[in-house]
Amino acid sequence: MNEPIMTDMRSEYTKTLIKVGHDNPNVVVLGADTTDSLKTSSFGKEFPNRFFNVGIAEANLVTVSAGLAASGKISFASTYAIFLPGRAVDQIRNNIAYPSPLGKKGLNVKLVVSHGGLSVGPDGGSHQQLEDIAIMRVIPNFRVFIPADTISVSKLTHLMANEYGPFYMRMARSKTPLIHSESQEFQIGKGITLRDGTDCTIAACGITVRMALEAAELLQQEGISCRVLDIFSIKPIDNELLEKAARETGCIVTTEEHNIFGGMGSAIAESVSESYPVPIKRIGAQDMFGESARDNEVPLLLAKHGITSFNMVKQVKEIRSKKL
Amino acid sequence: MGLNYYQIKKNILRARKLVIKGTNAAGSGHPGGSFSMAEILGCLFYKHLKFDPKNPQWANRDRLVLSKGHAAPGLFSNMAVAGYFPDSELETLRKFGSKLQGHPDLKCPGVEFCGGSLGTGLSYSIGVALAGKIDSKDYHVYTIIGDGESDEGQIWEAAMTASKYKVDNLTVFLDRNFLQQDSYTERIMPLDEKLEGDDLSEMWKDASRWKTGDKWRSFGWNVIEIDGHRVEQIDAAITKANATKGVPTMIISRTVKGKSLEHMEDNPLWHGKAPDTDIVPIINLELDSQFMIAPSIIAGDMTNLENEIKKCVSGRSDYIHLDVMDGQFVPNKTFDHSKIKELRPLTVIPFDSHLMINEPVKHIQDYIDAGSDIITVHAEVTDESSFGEIHDLLKQNQIGIGFAINPDTELPEWSYKFISSLDQLIVMSVVPGKSGQKYIEETHTKMNRLNSILKQYNFSGYIEADGGVNLENIGSIFADGARAFVGGGAIIGQQDVRIAIREFRDEVLKSRRGTLLDKANELGGIDLVNKWIGLHVIGEKQEQIKKIAKEAGYI
Repeated sequence: MNEPIMTDMRSEYTKTLIKVGHDNPNVVVLGADTTDSLKTSSFGKEFPNRFFNVGIAEANLVTVSAGLAASGKISFASTYAIFLPGRAVDQIRNNIAYPSPLGKKGLNVKLVVSHGGLSVGPDGGSHQQLEDIAIMRVIPNFRVFIPADTISVSKLTHLMANEYGPFYMRMARSKTPLIHSESQEFQIGKGITLRDGTDCTIAACGITVRMALEAAELLQQEGISCRVLDIFSIKPIDNELLEKAARETGCIVTTEEHNIFGGMGSAIAESVSESYPVPIKRIGAQDMFGESARDNEVPLLLAKHGITSFNMVKQVKEIRSKKL
Repeated sequence: MGLNYYQIKKNILRARKLVIKGTNAAGSGHPGGSFSMAEILGCLFYKHLKFDPKNPQWANRDRLVLSKGHAAPGLFSNMAVAGYFPDSELETLRKFGSKLQGHPDLKCPGVEFCGGSLGTGLSYSIGVALAGKIDSKDYHVYTIIGDGESDEGQIWEAAMTASKYKVDNLTVFLDRNFLQQDSYTERIMPLDEKLEGDDLSEMWKDASRWKTGDKWRSFGWNVIEIDGHRVEQIDAAITKANATKGVPTMIISRTVKGKSLEHMEDNPLWHGKAPDTDIVPIINLELDSQFMIAPSIIAGDMTNLENEIKKCVSGRSDYIHLDVMDGQFVPNKTFDHSKIKELRPLTVIPFDSHLMINEPVKHIQDYIDAGSDIITVHAEVTDESSFGEIHDLLKQNQIGIGFAINPDTELPEWSYKFISSLDQLIVMSVVPGKSGQKYIEETHTKMNRLNSILKQYNFSGYIEADGGVNLENIGSIFADGARAFVGGGAIIGQQDVRIAIREFRDEVLKSRRGTLLDKANELGGIDLVNKWIGLHVIGEKQEQIKKIAKEAGYI
């Protein structure tokens, strides 16, 4: 595979927000003292009366966003992953997801976070959110995205602005390799097949998508045909695509920087076990917390939790022997 | 809606009854906190809030956010009274399939906020208010938070945010009832200071110990502190808040949990408990038996009426009775509208202008302009046509409508058609014209005669006893049906007006307790009498009621 082009999700997010903000005067952006880090402060420069920095007060951030949304605004509220689902779940549930104006489901708030997963690096385990997908997945009315690259970020930000209702989108802290082309379509609840294959499927999201593609490449060299799916829409999940993968490839390896309990792997296992049960192996944090790692050591941290293309290769080989 | 003081009170009463109806039907719910904010909601719904029950999503409506969501029965009851849905809807409260959920919910059109998880409504309100500012809409956001709720850190996050963003289209009421689920707020998490011992009343009385206002002031808010059960104070505070620009307003409203039912007042047990079915009729009678006491200032120093008004204020009179005498209808002369206008700025306590003058129809506008809250004219000097004119004028100006009859006068037949819209009927128990006369005993039998006519024509105002009312006879006058009492020398002539009013109140309470015991006995015999007495667990009430029950031969 070619050396990837690395781009920054946070910059792309705010760049898109500003575009969306020009198109739609109802878009408002809120932050909690991480607005320079998230880059959303530049939205504030462009639209000073539609930008609110509530300080280090995440519960307040969520609920003020809800109040704006209840009054016709489209609220984008952003900070680090660890401080939203990890901290303000009551407000997320009771102030955004639960209140449903007649004929609608939830309020029109988009929670877009950065610093998801282990790849946060040096800040350590206290800042590495490995539980957010599990938390957000069980809250009714929320839709949950993990974009793999900046093209996904841009397309999904547009999509969220145009689609009524609560969304959660988790971005990575570090620059990520470009995966998709500009022409790629993104739809709620539709996964993307990045590479076809017949012997096994690797389903990935976020930064693990690139690893999955590398693993498939390595497997190809050993004569194993591996399908790779980008499951950016974790909720709703693409039941159809997953059933097809189960039926056609007979086994699935899932990979994510999240606890294997309750994350994308769990969501896929739930889906496939109801549609076309096949052996599934979940790669991710094995019910453990993270720890500090300098940026150049992040691969070591990920490796500690088995999140590497080599482990994906290994797991694919093992799971193939368990095919029904 | 812009109703007058009396109509607001009437609606508050109706809403309180619906709270009882709803929580009783549900078998659970929170009457205590619904009653402590009853007057706040009443003033909002029936005077200040802009809304349209037929179009709950009207874009320019004012927003009411009940952050202390457990008091949902209070909100729903007022929504029924305000016309969002029929009263009978309250019977579905907390039941499967109802839009009246256990906590306020957008499932019910007109509800603005899904309450329940405490501490969040203020942040939400800020969002709603900011949206209004972005869109240059002139709606106002009113939010009610609890004092127990103020334990939540998010309240203070929001306090800072509202101040930072100068959210002046937001007015918040703190329902300061000093109670939360476990016990007294000052024991669980003090807002003022830690409570030692059990006597909550000391906290209530000693204003020097209240620090909550300072907290909010230090957060940059405009703070107004009021008695949260006094309609006129709430009304004035809202007006002041709306005129304040550049900062949000916090109206700290000192209230009593369970207000207006003796067994619920200040009683933590009624935080989240529904009344039993057999007690409901007694409760409704107690609610129907609310009363007011007012000094008549002409019994004081006529050369310094300003000082007499000040005595009424410090004495906490419910309203102030102003006897206007022209020297023609009655031999004496007191003052006219110009004096009332002079006195008006001294207090927001309602002015009850009792016009003992000839041809009141010619002067009514002057008394409206002077700032009267209710104006009473005499049957002897009006007829169907002139009273009709007065009636319409008062109605248009949102002034209470009063009608008075002298001891020798029966209610004229032409007045029957006005009975249902009267806010007050003064039954003179002395010959009007001067103070210091003795109560005319014949008034008792006259009241009996009147009651049947009033009932027949759906009277729903206050019967005011005026003349010769004293500590000895006030109980029996209450029993006759009077619900507003004017005291001359017996109140305003006393050294300490506050004590005099309290003594009047105690006598009325004694009489009312007797009536309620009678009701309990009538409905359920000695068992219900004992059950009702047993509900009174706070303070000295139970012993006092037992004494009355013994005297009445029930126990």
